[in-house]
Amino acid sequence: MKVLPGKAGSNLKHALLIAAVVMSNSVGNLFLAFGMRNMPEFHFGSVLRYVLLVVSNPWIIVGTALLILFMIGQLSLFTWADLSYVLPVTASGYIVTAILSRVFLHENVSNMRWTGVVIIAFGVMLVAETPPHVEIPAGDQT
Amino acid sequence: MKWIFVALVVVSSTLGDVLSAKGMKREEEVESLGPQGILRVLHDIVTQPLVLIGILNNAISFCSFLALLSVAELSFAAPATAAAYILKVLLAKWYLGECVTWRRWAGALLVGIGVTLVLL
Repeated sequence: MKVLPGKAGSNLKHALLIAAVVMSNSVGNLFLAFGMRNMPEFHFGSVLRYVLLVVSNPWIIVGTALLILFMIGQLSLFTWADLSYVLPVTASGYIVTAILSRVFLHENVSNMRWTGVVIIAFGVMLVAETPPHVEIPAGDQT
Repeated sequence: MKWIFVALVVVSSTLGDVLSAKGMKREEEVESLGPQGILRVLHDIVTQPLVLIGILNNAISFCSFLALLSVAELSFAAPATAAAYILKVLLAKWYLGECVTWRRWAGALLVGIGVTLVLL
């Protein structure tokens, strides 16, 4: 197992890119939730009318734009980081989302949910300390 | 009703992440979200079929997530989509051939447990 050395200046760039991915995801979700609050409940009978309502909502439009940025950002992460690194590290978005839900949507986040958020934070910290990409030399598949 | 949407989100988001990670790994590194980086990623999307299939799955996952938001609170809906964490890491090891160190397993496990607690 060989750990590839990071290029000079890469670490800050990588951290900024991860932060941009996490924030665009959480803020995008917040905007979607704002938008969907004014929507009627979903029914399979009136799919077309429902879709038209959804795509004409400004909150949904901006939220969707942020989630498209999130998608492009995450694809960029895959070019230099393992999926098993990207997934737990970007899970820090759930921490941000819980805080945003409490502050902006005034949702009641229970103690149980906050405990879950803290455990997620520990998981994120564990994985964030591993190198983003670990190379397995040929013939050393463990 | 909300559990049907949760199941849809889990399956499609797993396929979405694993397939697009597989497709993007063949390309050069993109380190920032400037115009050049964004163009590079857009180019990869049209030239790598796996990335495109991955994105289609993400689109299905996104629509299911919107439907989920109309019947559940965001602080329930957002973590529900993370229920596939362990599945994704297993596929990262078996399908993508990644070296999943004990720290990554532990981290993914903690994230999974945290997500379950948020769901209760």
